[in-house]
Amino acid sequence: MKKEDTVMLISAEGFEFVIDKKAAMVSQTIRNMLTSPGGFSETEHGKVTFPEISTTILEKICQYFYWSLQYASGKETEFHIEPELTLELMMAANYLHT
Amino acid sequence: MGGACSRKRDQQANDANINRGVSGRYTKSGSSKWLGGSFSRASMDSSQGKQRCPTLMDLCIYKIREDINKYGTFSMLPRDITQQIFDDLVCSQCLTDTLLEAFRDCALQDLNLGEYPGVDDSWLDVVSSQGSSLLSLDLSGSDVTDSGITYLKDCKSLQALNLNYCDQISDKGLEQVYGLSNLTTLSFKRNSSITAKGISSLSGLIKMVKLDMERCPRIHGGLAHLKGLEKLEMLNVNCCNCITDADMKAISGLTRLKSLQIASSKVTDNGVVFLRDLKNLSLLNMEACPVTAACLESLSGKFLGALQYLNISRCDLKDNGCENFSKMQSLKVLNLGFNDISGAILVHLKGLINLESLNLDSCRIKDEGILYLAGLTRLKFLELSDTEVGSSALRHLSGLVNLENLNLSFTVVTDGGLRKLSGLSSLKSLNLDARQITDAGIAALTSLTGLMHLDLFGARITDSGTNYLRAFKKLRSLEICGGGLTDAGVKNIKDLTSLTLLNLSQNSLLTDKSLESISGLTQLVSLNMSNSRVTSAGLRHLKSLKHLKSLTLESCKVTANDIKLLQSTDLPQLVNFRPE
Repeated sequence: MKKEDTVMLISAEGFEFVIDKKAAMVSQTIRNMLTSPGGFSETEHGKVTFPEISTTILEKICQYFYWSLQYASGKETEFHIEPELTLELMMAANYLHT
Repeated sequence: MGGACSRKRDQQANDANINRGVSGRYTKSGSSKWLGGSFSRASMDSSQGKQRCPTLMDLCIYKIREDINKYGTFSMLPRDITQQIFDDLVCSQCLTDTLLEAFRDCALQDLNLGEYPGVDDSWLDVVSSQGSSLLSLDLSGSDVTDSGITYLKDCKSLQALNLNYCDQISDKGLEQVYGLSNLTTLSFKRNSSITAKGISSLSGLIKMVKLDMERCPRIHGGLAHLKGLEKLEMLNVNCCNCITDADMKAISGLTRLKSLQIASSKVTDNGVVFLRDLKNLSLLNMEACPVTAACLESLSGKFLGALQYLNISRCDLKDNGCENFSKMQSLKVLNLGFNDISGAILVHLKGLINLESLNLDSCRIKDEGILYLAGLTRLKFLELSDTEVGSSALRHLSGLVNLENLNLSFTVVTDGGLRKLSGLSSLKSLNLDARQITDAGIAALTSLTGLMHLDLFGARITDSGTNYLRAFKKLRSLEICGGGLTDAGVKNIKDLTSLTLLNLSQNSLLTDKSLESISGLTQLVSLNMSNSRVTSAGLRHLKSLKHLKSLTLESCKVTANDIKLLQSTDLPQLVNFRPE
């Protein structure tokens, strides 16, 4: 996998998730960051830090990104959400426009 | 963000209503009218093809709905997220008075509880806890009473309040609205308790823009209290048969008014004179008012230069006085249906070049006069049903290239005249429900490939005529009920896969074989095969019609139980069926 095809998403605790750029672009917010001309300084290096999103939630979000790509390609499985994560996940989803 | 389901904040009369004006009369297709909303939704689904991938937000909302009992409060969430949870619970009808408690103090902006089951005074405490965040509240169709309305006094920011069909609200309830000085929209349709005294409570609501009091039979004299509402743009007192000329005098100074609806009131020509100063009036609905052509003087461009929509159907118009129509240059929509007027008045319409919709339903129109419509090239909608218009008039319509909707039902138009319509390439809807129309007439129309709605209800169409229907690939609705079809004819329509409504009733020769031909029309929402030889054994062919909501098989060898079985095993979407 070429480096420019991936992005690094960093959680509040500093945990790094390296995922396909294509997957990250499922989020409208991240897409805007990566594609807006001039850009956000941190995205030039393919890194985005989310100081308000915990590691657990960011992991879940990355799972969703890949699930969403699968869904779009016709594999319609169920996406499991743990009840205790729902509210926090929802706030992150709202922020990420996902 | 905000609007739950397909609910709209304001539910004012729309242009389509004005266009149609009298559409409720056609009982034969009336049965499908209630499906109107679902049709558009069904077609949307099909155009999208497969289902859209749910967003993470959607998934979280579903999850919350699933576990809703575990949440005591949502007040720690940002308002826009809580709003989405609330809207989802309303839309899925999962909200109860107990669950409502979780939304206390959530600073919600929109509570669209219109027609929601079980809403009563006990809900209003949580409603009012939204305080000054609440901008719009829809309680229509609820059991809320006057004492429930007292809770709203803390909702000072409220802009839109809908109390339609709340029959337990009276003048006392409106008194509580008095302090809601930010209200711009207020609606309390069909209330038989509210009187002029209640309306006097509204006199200080000077930000009011839209006020809807349709079907309030006791508000006579109340409009005098609206004099100070200088921002009022829309006023609806349709079907308030207590409204008289004096009430028109009371509103004569509301010069910002853009839309005034006074249908089925007692307003006469003398009352219409008071409307002369309403320079901004764009829409006027006077259907079924005792006015004559003499009132047209007050409505002409000299006074009401902005008038675009005029419904003056079912009034006492005669030819004499209709010359004033020529001074209504700004008119786009004119409904003259069910008046005692002849084709002689059409000469006065020939200069109304902005006209897009003209309704002459059941007027004494013959072929004479139709030539004056030839220059109205912006016409999109022309209603000539139940007139004596015949084939020789149709050549004057052949140049109306923007015409989208033409109704020639119950006219004396014959097959020979229809070829004059063959160039009307914008036509989407054509009604030829007339006994003298036959296969030959359809043969002349095959160039109209944009047709979406074709009504041949009483026309004498046989199997050979159905061959020509193949040209109409975009057809969404089709009615052929003249009795001349057999299974062979129905086979010819099996490729019209865009059909959502199909009425083949009264064709007594049709058998289960026809159902087999129909089984591929998977977009069908409504199907009527009454008075045919269809049997319960044929119902299995309908299993593929997953969008079907209405199925009518009266006077067939099919029982209600047969259909219920089909509904439970294969067609859960079915909501309306006969026999029942």
